[in-house]
Amino acid sequence: MTGNYRGLLVVREGPIGWLIFDRPEVGNAMDAAMLADLPRAWHDLDADPDVRVIVNTGNGSAFQTGLDVRQLAGDRDALREQSRRTKNAELRISAWHNRVGKPVIAAVNGVCAGGGLHFVADADIVIAAQRATFLDPHVSLGQASAFELIGLARRGAVEPVMRIGLSGRHERLDAARAYQLGIVSEVVPDVRAAAGQLAEKISRNPPEALRLVKRQLWRALEVGLTSARREAAVAEMGVAIARSPQAAHLLSGEPATQPELLGEPPCHTPNSRL
Amino acid sequence: MPYTEFQTLKLQRHGPVGWLLFNRPASLNAMNSVMRAELADAWLELDRDPEVQVIVHTGEGRAFQTGVDVAELATDGLGMERYRESMEAYDLHFTAWHQQVSKPVIAAVNGICAGGGFHWVADADIVIAATTAEFTEPHVSVGQVVAMEAIGLLRKMPFEAVMRMALVGRYERMPAQRAYELGMVSQLVPPEQLRDVAQQLAETIARNSPAAMAATKRALWGALETGLTEACRGGAREVVSVWGHPDQDEGPRAFAEKREPRWAKPERAEPERSAPERSAHGGSRR
Repeated sequence: MTGNYRGLLVVREGPIGWLIFDRPEVGNAMDAAMLADLPRAWHDLDADPDVRVIVNTGNGSAFQTGLDVRQLAGDRDALREQSRRTKNAELRISAWHNRVGKPVIAAVNGVCAGGGLHFVADADIVIAAQRATFLDPHVSLGQASAFELIGLARRGAVEPVMRIGLSGRHERLDAARAYQLGIVSEVVPDVRAAAGQLAEKISRNPPEALRLVKRQLWRALEVGLTSARREAAVAEMGVAIARSPQAAHLLSGEPATQPELLGEPPCHTPNSRL
Repeated sequence: MPYTEFQTLKLQRHGPVGWLLFNRPASLNAMNSVMRAELADAWLELDRDPEVQVIVHTGEGRAFQTGVDVAELATDGLGMERYRESMEAYDLHFTAWHQQVSKPVIAAVNGICAGGGFHWVADADIVIAATTAEFTEPHVSVGQVVAMEAIGLLRKMPFEAVMRMALVGRYERMPAQRAYELGMVSQLVPPEQLRDVAQQLAETIARNSPAAMAATKRALWGALETGLTEACRGGAREVVSVWGHPDQDEGPRAFAEKREPRWAKPERAEPERSAPERSAHGGSRR
C-alpha cells in the first residue's frame, strides 16, 4: 500500500504506518493534490489491520508549512473547495479531522508553520527534532488564524499560543521552549528514529484499549469534567472490562497484584518484543 | 488629542503603542474604587484611539498590581459591600477582557503581582515579566475567596500551580522563572529593560494586520468558552470574517514586494484623525 498518494508517502513497517509529507522542494506545503489525498492516506492507515500506530513526519528540512498558496491561487476549484471546508469547519487535513482512531505521533523534523500546526495540534503525541521551530504567519499576511491555535490552546498553556498567533512571522518558538511548555514531549537529534522506537512501544499495548483511551481523552476536550468522566466510565464498563482481566480484577474489588500490573508486559500482539 | 488625566492611571502613546500604567506606587498599585472606575474608561480610550495598534500595561514603582485596596476596604465603612452589586451581577469593567478590547494587549509585570492583580495577567493576550517579578494569591489568608482571576488562569496554564497559589495564600510566592516555565508568561527581562522590551514587542506585533489580529483574538478567547469542535466552528466564522478585507491582498503583495504592509485602519477606530506618524520608537520599525 505504498505510492499513489500525491505529495505523500505512505509506508508500512511492522506495526507502524508512516504518513510522510513529500514535497520537500516547497517545505512540504499542501497543494490541491496533497489536500485531496490526505483523507485517503489517513483512512487507509487507520483501516489497515497490520498498522497499530501512525507516525506523521516530513521529508527534507521542513515538517509542514501549510497551504501552498502559490499553487492554490492558480487552481480555482481547489481553492473554492478549501474555502468551503474552512467556512463550514469541515477541514479534512489532520488525523483528528479524519477521525483516525489509532494513536498518531507527529515527528516534527523541521519548521512547522501556519497550517502545518494542524498536524501538531491534532496529533496524540508530538516529538521534535532539535532544529524544529513553530510559527504562525497568518496575521502577517492579513489572515486570521483559528483552528490550529485553538487546538494548541487546548493542549497546554494558552499565553504562548496567543503570542505565536499575534506575533505572526516575526517570531518563532524553538524546540527547547516547545518542550518546556509541553507542546512536545521529547526533543531529539534523529526524530524519525525516535518516533519509530516510540511507536513500537505503543504498539505493544492492546489496540482496543488504545482506541478507547484516545477517544475518551479527545472527548474530554469537548465537554465539562463531570460529563467527560461519566461518559468515560460508561465506555470503560462497556468495552474494556470485558476484555481485560486486570480491569475485571479491579471491578470485582479483588485487585490485581503489582507484579501482574507492573511486571513483564503481556504479549498482546505478534509484533511485541519482550 | 491628549488622553484623559486620571487620578490613578497614566495613559501614554509611543508610536503605535498605547500604554496603560497603574499609578498608585505608594499603595503598590492597589485598586481602589477610583481606579476601578477609571480602568473602565481607560481601556476603551486606548482601544478607540486609531493611532494605537497594540496596548501595553504595567505598573509604576516596584509593584505591578496588588489587587483590591485593603486599606480602603478597612477604613471607609463600606468594605466589599460597595462591590456586592457588580459582583453578584458579574458586571465588571476593569480588565481588557471585561471591556472587550479588540487590540492585542501585553501585560508587562514589573514587580509583585498579588491577589486581584492576577485579573490583568489572566486577561491579557501576552504576558512578559521582569526577572524580579513575583506572583502570590493571598485572598484566603485574609478570609476572602478567589475565583474569577484563578478561573481565568486555570484555562490558560497548568492547573496544579494555580490551585496551589490559591490555597497556600500569602505564605508563598511564585518566582518569575517558574511562571515562565509554566507558560504563564512568555518572556523574562531584566527589570530595567522591561519597558523597552515591551515597546519593541508591541511594535513587532503592530506590523501585523489589525483586522486579522482582532479576528484571531476573538477566535482564541472564544475557544476558552466551549468544547473543541464548537470552538473550531466559532474559529471558522472568525477566519471567514476577514475574507474580502483589503489586508488579505495587501499582506501577500507587500511580502512579494519586500516592503512593510500598509494595513487598512480598523473599523472601530474613529475616522477624524490623520495618518499615523511614527514616533522615535515607531521610526525604528523595519
